Amino acid sequence: MTAFLRFYDLTKSYYEGDMQRVVLQNAHAKFQPGEMTAIIGKSGSGKSTLLNLISGIDAPDSGQIWVDGRDLASLSERERTLFRRAHIGFIFQFFNLIPTLTVGENISLPLELNRVPHAQAQKKAKDFLDSVGLVDRWATFPEKLSGGEQQRVALARALVHDPLLILADEPTGNLDEETGAQVMSLLAKLTREQGRTLLMVTHSVEAASYADRVLRLSHGQLVTER
Amino acid sequence: MLSLRTLLRHPIQFALMTLGIALGVAVMVGIDLANASAERAFDLSASAITGRATHAIVAGSGGVDETLYVRLRTDPQWRSQFESAPTVRAFVVSPQLGEIPFTLLGIDPFAEAPFRSYLGGGQGFDFQSITPLLTQPGAILLSAPTAERYGLTPCLGEFNDSCHLEFSINGRTRSTYLVGLLEPSNDFARRALDTLVITDIATAQSLTGTAGELTQIDLILPEDYDTAALTAALPAGNLLVASATRNDQVNTMTAAFRVNLTALSLLALVVGIFLIYNTMTFSVIQRRAMFGTLRSLGYTREQVFGMVLGEAALVGALGAGIGLGLGVLLGQGAVQMVTQTINDLFFVVSVRGVQIPASSLLKGGLAGLLASLLAAAPPAWEAASVPPRLALSRSGLENKASVAVNLAAVLGILAALVGGLILRIPTRDLVVSFTGTFAVVIGLAALTPFVTVTLMRLLNYPLAALFGLLGRLAPRNIIRSQSRTAVAVAALMIAVSVTIGVQVMITSFRTTVTLWLDQTLQGDIYVSAQGLSATRLDTPLDPEVVASARSYPLAQSSAVVRVVSAETESGSVDLVAATTTPLDARILLDGNPENVVKEMKEGAILLSEPLAARLGIDSANATFPLLTPDGWFQFPVAGVYADYASTRGTIRMDIDVYRSLWKDNTLNGVSLTLIPSADVDSVTADLRGQLIGFKRVQVNPSGALRDDAIKIFDRTFAITIAMQLVTTLVAFIGVLSSLLALQLEKAREMGILRALGLTLTEMRRLTFWETGLLGASAGLLALPTGAILAWILIFIINQRSFGWTLQMQPEPLPFVQAFVLAVSAALLAAVYPAWRLSRMQTAEALRGE
Repeated sequence: MTAFLRFYDLTKSYYEGDMQRVVLQNAHAKFQPGEMTAIIGKSGSGKSTLLNLISGIDAPDSGQIWVDGRDLASLSERERTLFRRAHIGFIFQFFNLIPTLTVGENISLPLELNRVPHAQAQKKAKDFLDSVGLVDRWATFPEKLSGGEQQRVALARALVHDPLLILADEPTGNLDEETGAQVMSLLAKLTREQGRTLLMVTHSVEAASYADRVLRLSHGQLVTER
Repeated sequence: MLSLRTLLRHPIQFALMTLGIALGVAVMVGIDLANASAERAFDLSASAITGRATHAIVAGSGGVDETLYVRLRTDPQWRSQFESAPTVRAFVVSPQLGEIPFTLLGIDPFAEAPFRSYLGGGQGFDFQSITPLLTQPGAILLSAPTAERYGLTPCLGEFNDSCHLEFSINGRTRSTYLVGLLEPSNDFARRALDTLVITDIATAQSLTGTAGELTQIDLILPEDYDTAALTAALPAGNLLVASATRNDQVNTMTAAFRVNLTALSLLALVVGIFLIYNTMTFSVIQRRAMFGTLRSLGYTREQVFGMVLGEAALVGALGAGIGLGLGVLLGQGAVQMVTQTINDLFFVVSVRGVQIPASSLLKGGLAGLLASLLAAAPPAWEAASVPPRLALSRSGLENKASVAVNLAAVLGILAALVGGLILRIPTRDLVVSFTGTFAVVIGLAALTPFVTVTLMRLLNYPLAALFGLLGRLAPRNIIRSQSRTAVAVAALMIAVSVTIGVQVMITSFRTTVTLWLDQTLQGDIYVSAQGLSATRLDTPLDPEVVASARSYPLAQSSAVVRVVSAETESGSVDLVAATTTPLDARILLDGNPENVVKEMKEGAILLSEPLAARLGIDSANATFPLLTPDGWFQFPVAGVYADYASTRGTIRMDIDVYRSLWKDNTLNGVSLTLIPSADVDSVTADLRGQLIGFKRVQVNPSGALRDDAIKIFDRTFAITIAMQLVTTLVAFIGVLSSLLALQLEKAREMGILRALGLTLTEMRRLTFWETGLLGASAGLLALPTGAILAWILIFIINQRSFGWTLQMQPEPLPFVQAFVLAVSAALLAAVYPAWRLSRMQTAEALRGE
């Protein structure tokens, strides 16, 4: 089967003052459609950087990133943004809901960005909110929700526009064990139900246990852990 | 330390806040210096001329017969009772003295000692030039610094160019010679002598063509002196007046002008206060978590309060310091404008340089500092109130802000109503009037957030339908950032409404004056002599000029005018005696236009509107006393007429009535109405050619006079417009500062939106949508506020300040311009924040928890 996501010779470094710090060094990996993969590694090992490169938020120093047959490195910044808008769903450690928008507005956002007609967007967002069990919190502001509830809203937002690829950056990193498990179970369920590809960066062994495959990022290289 | 570090962490906000206060203080100090300099110049010239005189005997335009002085000096009944000294005065200009107005003061050196000490330190004249001053025709004295400034040296035996000065006095050119210098003994004397030309009384009479006449006789009357006997003994047409009262009357005339300027200058500071309030509130809101931490570490409320106030004090002190420097620079320019206006509208005053009294600087510095502290007090209290636990969430803050929006709207309406009630108080006190005006404007400004939120709710659906996501996001974001932007938008609203108010007032004024000029300048050609004031005909015309003009073959008819100063019971006024012609009903504000010509030919007078307003005369059937050479005379008042040339007060009289009572055949102007076939321009050129031998005689077609008058009008309002621009600039800085802070705070939110797929262009567009909408709501509310302000300025402030009735001309242009200004200012203020946002690293922004 052709890999849905693959990257080769991916190198990315940062300057910290005068010092150059290489976080990815000729990294390469392949991911199949519908596969759930966890990437683990120490803090600062470059896990989040890898997600930023795959989503096109950041650009690599060198290397190629192919998503669904398209080389992200060859796209302009605007094309990468439009690709991300249409095909990628993001889940962050700190939920990153927009504080001035209600829960419903937060979930509708990717649909509105993709120019889905308003009424249709509202309906779909409500359905997704229902699927994460929070339909009664439609008009609530994020700060009124618990951490677990916020991450469930973030899940709905990441999936609502039917993305090909879901990138999750420490999705349970800010939740207690029990809530983390609930969120992971929901994430796994929804991802599998919809046949999405999930790439998840995590410290948590419990979270990683939901994945089909676990890769470790160490010294700028990805190695198979499980 | 924490305060300083906070300010330095946000250098742009710090700089903008400081600049806002600096500009506010600069305008205030600049205007204060200009006002103080003009006022001081007047006081100085008044006290220089008045000296220690307690009273003066005056006699209107005809002057005091010098035999009266002889009587006072020789008659034993008076000689022992008080000191007396004669003076002859005139405003003069000389090319050798830079063409600026000087006062020619003719004195009797032997009577001077008790009066003007600066002429000789109270010991009489101690200079060697006394002999030439008394014997040499045209001999004059100047102060040594003045002579040095203009490169003049006294004649030493022979009379050459370096001591020769040519003066224009009452329309004639006279030669004088500098025969000596006065060495000022102190600073007062130096400044008192600065624009004085001293001469002997006889020389002054000869130079001014007033042989046998004195301008006045100065007296030093003992305290508690009963003036009844002296008053009774004065010949008819002479009047005993108290010197201080007389100077006060003149100075009070400009008070309204100065109060108006001060009020406008304060406006920039008020907008500056809004700016500080907004920025400090923002800064406190952003640091709520930090304040919570500090409180849990043991910081007391007072310490947190003091910390925020300390930041404001730092900004205030720095802003005030810079503002003082800028203010002094601004004062240099403003003093020219203020002096020009005073010369145009009130009286001749010559200001040489800006005086920088410490009190003005202290006042400006303190105002800047206190304004900053005052503006920061509510946010400082807010910071001190943060509980030592979890900081309030953003949505909680916005909910709180939304309650505040409604409360501010209610309080705003109340403030505006109270302002309206204050304005209804029937007073001429401008401080009361401006208090009412400020209450109305600030009250309406408090409505801005409510109007913004309502407008955004109304626009939400149409904008979303038209522009999709951005059209939906922008109004929603505005509604939910009231805690950050409301005050800046209110400040912008004030600035824009002031723009409308001032523009409509000026346009209305201009239209009224243009109409008035059309109705007043009915002749085709005007012949006059160039004087010192641009709006008063104060220089006599040579009789030959009058005769030549009136006998011009193409003249169908002619009218003449004589302008003199006349004494009333409440000071002197301009008396305009002219050939009586029918008055347009729009000019005659009170009185019967059909009867007015007849009544005036029979001896009635017309009062100018400012004079009638000042004296509270509103009936055309009243009588008005004027001092004629034969004593007080009650003139029937035929009506009140519109006059925008002077606020001093003018009385119009038929020229024949004047001549019969004043026995004065001098004229100041002739107007010619040409036969219909005559070409005005070629007659003007021909007449100019015929009168070329007469220096300073001006022949102008009425169109040129109208243009000149409009030029003076525009000059009068130049300073108003300049100040209004500074106010707008401060408001712009407020919006810029607010947007910068908002974008800084929204970086993470924008990072999320970018991660979700918002393109750079869309992000920039969103920023511009938000700020454009903020500007639009400020502009929208500014339209009715500006119209209300214009109404107040025209019908209350102007009426009470100057006594002028203006016709309000609410043309659409100022409103459209102001709305565009509000939106453009907001959009312009968004350029830099949008640029910064587009350089934002999304990954960094997402990490920045």
